[in-house]
Amino acid sequence: MDLLRYRIRTFFKYKDLIKELVARDLRLKYRRSFLGYVWSILNPLLTMVVLSIVFSHLLGKKIENYPVYLLSGRMLYDFMKNSTNNAMRSVVVNAPLLRKVYVPKYIFTFSKVTSCMVDMVLSLVALIIVMIATGTEFHVTILLLPLVILQLYIFCCGLGFFLAQLNVFFRDIQYIYSVVLTAWMYCTPIIYKLDERFPRWFHIAVKGFNPMYYYISQSRDIIYYGNWPGPRIFWGGWLIAFLALAIGVWSFQRSKDKFVLYI
Amino acid sequence: MGNYAIEVENVKIRFNLASERVDNLKEYTIKLVKHELMFQEFLALQDISFKIKKGESWGFVGPNGSGKSTLLKTISGILQPYEGSVKVDGRIAPLIELGAGVDPNLTARENIYLNGLVLGHSREFMEKHFDEIVEFSNLEKFLDSPIKNFSSGMKARLGFAVATVVNPDILVVDEVLEVGDMKFRRKCNERMQQMLAGGTTLLYVSHNIESVQTLCDNAIWLDGGKIRMMGSSQEVCEAYREEQEREITARREERRAKLRAAGKKYDYLIVGAGLYGAVAAKELTRRGRRCLVIDKRSHIAGNIYTENVDGIQVHKYGAHIFHTSNEKVWKYINKVADFNNYINSPVASYKDELYNLPFNMNTFYKLWGLKTPKEVQEKIAAQIAELGITEPKNLEEQALSLVGPDVYEKLIKGYTEKQWGRDCKDLPSFIIRRLPLRFTYNNNYFNDRYQGIPIGGYTGIVEKLLENVDVMLDTDFFEYCKEHSDMFKKVIYTGMIDEYFDFCYGHLEYRTVRFETERIEEANYQGNAVVNYTEREVPYTRIIEHKHFEPEEEQRNPKDYTIISREYSTEWKPGIDPYYPVNDEKNSVLYEKYRALAQQEKNVIFGGRLGSYRYYDMDKVIEAACETVAKELNIRPWI
Repeated sequence: MDLLRYRIRTFFKYKDLIKELVARDLRLKYRRSFLGYVWSILNPLLTMVVLSIVFSHLLGKKIENYPVYLLSGRMLYDFMKNSTNNAMRSVVVNAPLLRKVYVPKYIFTFSKVTSCMVDMVLSLVALIIVMIATGTEFHVTILLLPLVILQLYIFCCGLGFFLAQLNVFFRDIQYIYSVVLTAWMYCTPIIYKLDERFPRWFHIAVKGFNPMYYYISQSRDIIYYGNWPGPRIFWGGWLIAFLALAIGVWSFQRSKDKFVLYI
Repeated sequence: MGNYAIEVENVKIRFNLASERVDNLKEYTIKLVKHELMFQEFLALQDISFKIKKGESWGFVGPNGSGKSTLLKTISGILQPYEGSVKVDGRIAPLIELGAGVDPNLTARENIYLNGLVLGHSREFMEKHFDEIVEFSNLEKFLDSPIKNFSSGMKARLGFAVATVVNPDILVVDEVLEVGDMKFRRKCNERMQQMLAGGTTLLYVSHNIESVQTLCDNAIWLDGGKIRMMGSSQEVCEAYREEQEREITARREERRAKLRAAGKKYDYLIVGAGLYGAVAAKELTRRGRRCLVIDKRSHIAGNIYTENVDGIQVHKYGAHIFHTSNEKVWKYINKVADFNNYINSPVASYKDELYNLPFNMNTFYKLWGLKTPKEVQEKIAAQIAELGITEPKNLEEQALSLVGPDVYEKLIKGYTEKQWGRDCKDLPSFIIRRLPLRFTYNNNYFNDRYQGIPIGGYTGIVEKLLENVDVMLDTDFFEYCKEHSDMFKKVIYTGMIDEYFDFCYGHLEYRTVRFETERIEEANYQGNAVVNYTEREVPYTRIIEHKHFEPEEEQRNPKDYTIISREYSTEWKPGIDPYYPVNDEKNSVLYEKYRALAQQEKNVIFGGRLGSYRYYDMDKVIEAACETVAKELNIRPWI
């Protein structure tokens, strides 16, 4: 219990550092280019336009209001991809600092995931624009969105911690993970709909083993369909998030004292 | 704890490291399957116990790898002891070079905040003390420029200012201050003295023993991870210094004794193991003369010395690119080295815009968007005509009358001023006689027929040249002569000619360069081996990224880090490595006087860059050395 209180105290001691790191990431991202923040909106919009044009022809069966369908899944997936990618490198990149001064190492990982989350929330404007442009109805269920984002945020923190510590010991994890991410994207119903065209085993695999399915289904439910998400995906989402966090924190905690020898 | 700030008891630090560094999964798996994964226990520290009272100042000395930094890291909590305990009472402030591990695009202002927060201060606290920090560091002007333009000295300055903004209980200083200039070091020392008086405990690591002696009351001498000696800093430092000297002398004596025991006498003593000395030694040896090569430095190859740092050949004394039009020289050097096809095409950076060098159509296109040589020639002619300079009075006017204001302002002015440490208006016009402009799209800096970098670095060349030659390092010529003048008949001297004559007419002047070399955890820092910074505001003249000299090595063996050197032009003072002779009238006259003296020395031949006080490219060095040997042995010159 003392240890927990101590940890919470250090966390608060460094809260300004976390804020500054998050602010720095956003500042660097938006600085220098004239469009700055606009890029954050434009980027998903343009990708959405391209994908909509390509896939509305490619996919045999038309998905109604494809732009909103696509965006409501893709934004969450992109957040997961960016945040875990950045989190993975967070310890190694800060090596010169960590070699010199004692700072809780998770701060860097945590702040990376957080800055990606903030970036994603800011770019939600893109989704709103598309919804207005396509005349999509705003359902009351959309109010649940913060909770879905929170679930995914917790999940990404966990995965980020796990990858960050692994990357310290094995630098080629980066390459392996980028392959995993590509495969992961195709196994997640982002650009397509998981319907009866797919074999049964694929349904089972995606619904049973792909965490992203839980978050994307929830977001689709509340934005695109206007349904309240079913208990299975809603509570499942929370469960997976905390499970990932537990694994991440445990693995990070276990090896963090050895980091300095390898960076 | 009470009185003690730090109590270290029986600390042992054990690293369980793989015998070879395995940092990727692929190798790890292969080694695991083949049962080749060997772990080696390495005791970085053992039996370390001491107590430091509050307000004391302690220095840590010892050779590289003796565990000084490890010990400080353990005290700071970065490393956990394997056995024993470390108790610390109070807040530790380590001195971190500003910008460490931080995005180089952030400005100094942002870095100050970040650095303070990393040290555990609150934002509010930093805002309150911001002005104080800036004032101490004396860098107000640069607050909003990105940290990547800062020299290590400037970064250390800011780092020191942040770390000492309040008197920390314990200040940890690890080698960081070596980089700043004298004035700033003095300022830091004063501040540290002040803090000591105010009750701060200081832990100080430095290779500079004098600074340990002046700053610290106590010292610990570490050797091989153990405490060798502990006590007052005067005594410990004295003992450590004596030991260091003893070791160097012992090494030297051992070598000399060996040579003497062999009963060897030499025909030639060659002073300086650089390229000139090595070529001369090889050619003389090949023709049956016995040579002994000595060098002051503790490595061979003089200024073309390259050192393998983590698999990258680092040009320790500045970029060397071999180029020649002399086919014989090219064939000669290719017998002792394999060359790659590196072509020097530097890039100039001016206010975030990049321009190709040497001045060619690519440069002009970037400057004006003009595409044909005719347009460019007209443009330049018009610009020059507009100025109406008939008789250039200084370098600025000279350059303007050759290339016009655009090229001059962006690509020549700042660079030249940094090089000479003076305004272009105050420089004589003869420094620039000619500024070649190329009206083709060709970025190859040299016009020579052959060009390249020896694969595996230059040191290998000199090693090969000296294969069958006796070499003694760490040996000063004048000292050696005192005792061993009977060991040789003649001398080939490649050191400073004025030093040989004891500066009897005064010092010849040199321009010199200083390098700050840094490892960066990035695969590719600037995408080119050489980038010149032509703005006055950037303190360095250029950045060398060493791995790009050997692209084939990088392809075979990609690395996710790189090594860069920032190059600063500095005023030369007696005692620092001289680089380029200053060929102005005053120095030329002075050199002629020394040359007259040299001609009277019948048994000494003067040669090389310092011995003949002139700038030599490497190919010219080889030509000159061969010529000297030919003349000396009275044989037909072969190069």
